Amino acid sequence: MGLDPTSRARFNLKDASVLLLDATPLGMSILVQIVTGLGAKTLHRCNDLETAQTAVEGNQIDLAIVDSLPPSGEGYDFVQWMRREAGEPNCYTPVLMTTSHTPRSQISRARDCGANIIIKKPFPPITVLERIIWSSKEGRKFLFSETYVGPDRRFRNIGPPKGGKGRRREDFTATPLPQNHVGLADTVDQLAARARAETAEIDDAPELDGD
Amino acid sequence: MTTARFTVPKQRLAQLLKTPGGLPVAEAIAAAQGNLAQLKPLCIGELDRLLATAEKIFAALGSAYDEDGVGALYETAVRGIGLGDVCGAGSVDIALHSLCDLLDHLQTHHRYDPEAVGVHLRAWKLLISTELPPEGAQAVLAGLNKVSALYSSPKAGEG
Repeated sequence: MGLDPTSRARFNLKDASVLLLDATPLGMSILVQIVTGLGAKTLHRCNDLETAQTAVEGNQIDLAIVDSLPPSGEGYDFVQWMRREAGEPNCYTPVLMTTSHTPRSQISRARDCGANIIIKKPFPPITVLERIIWSSKEGRKFLFSETYVGPDRRFRNIGPPKGGKGRRREDFTATPLPQNHVGLADTVDQLAARARAETAEIDDAPELDGD
Repeated sequence: MTTARFTVPKQRLAQLLKTPGGLPVAEAIAAAQGNLAQLKPLCIGELDRLLATAEKIFAALGSAYDEDGVGALYETAVRGIGLGDVCGAGSVDIALHSLCDLLDHLQTHHRYDPEAVGVHLRAWKLLISTELPPEGAQAVLAGLNKVSALYSSPKAGEG
């Protein structure tokens, strides 16, 4: 993602309604200090699931930063609820999931809850801003299925998951591609070029500069 | 076969971010870091308090596996991750992560090793209370990671 911390590119979070969920007072303080530093003014501070659900039911939320709430991992349940039950427009809200440590037993819960991205603690402000910008990017598909509701987890066109069968119309093959194949599966160089292009897009001042 | 429906929602956040005004990235990052600096004394105090709690739980544990005790230790350690970085002791976060890995492995395999847990708590105390040179801290953290990795499989660490 590579956002330059010295960049003069502008962004505006002033009118964004931001939901913060963290059960620990200091964890919440860290989130508040970061997002207010980044310019957010409207914060819904929630220290448990119930408060967070009430905030989602009563407000349009533009961004949610949700802790996984260890050791129970209830934060994952909250995101899943938001995706499945909150209704439009909040079911589409970009969600940044924060986590201190993910126990082995909760890895699939974290993967399947429907968050846009997971950020491991500790996270510097620049990382939070990069992830906010990345998560807000338009054009990413949103998927509704029986087992998963959330942003498309395949955000690079490299075909079905490794070792998995193609399940989508655009998955031309379920069998491994020959080593010399260049096409559906991106080459390393193509991926690197795309990553560079994405970075350049974030760093591109005119895109964020509203002045 | 499961059916799936795709949509491409409009993101209000994307529009808001581009609204005229706002902050330059550099200014916003500096402001956020300045805000975080104010939390430093609170974070140091909380890490000390969590360490004292962890030591108390550890002292009460025997040598056999105790589900509740190991769970309480995990709950205490996991709350400290992220605070070290704010108070300039990022190595504490890494040590706590290693401790959480270890406790997670022990919970998964229903095992307990007071030595492995004890060395993590001593390292936590050392990293928070002394200014170790970076190489010293790195050596401590590498040792901790080796200890917690030892318990990642059911039979490892025995003998």
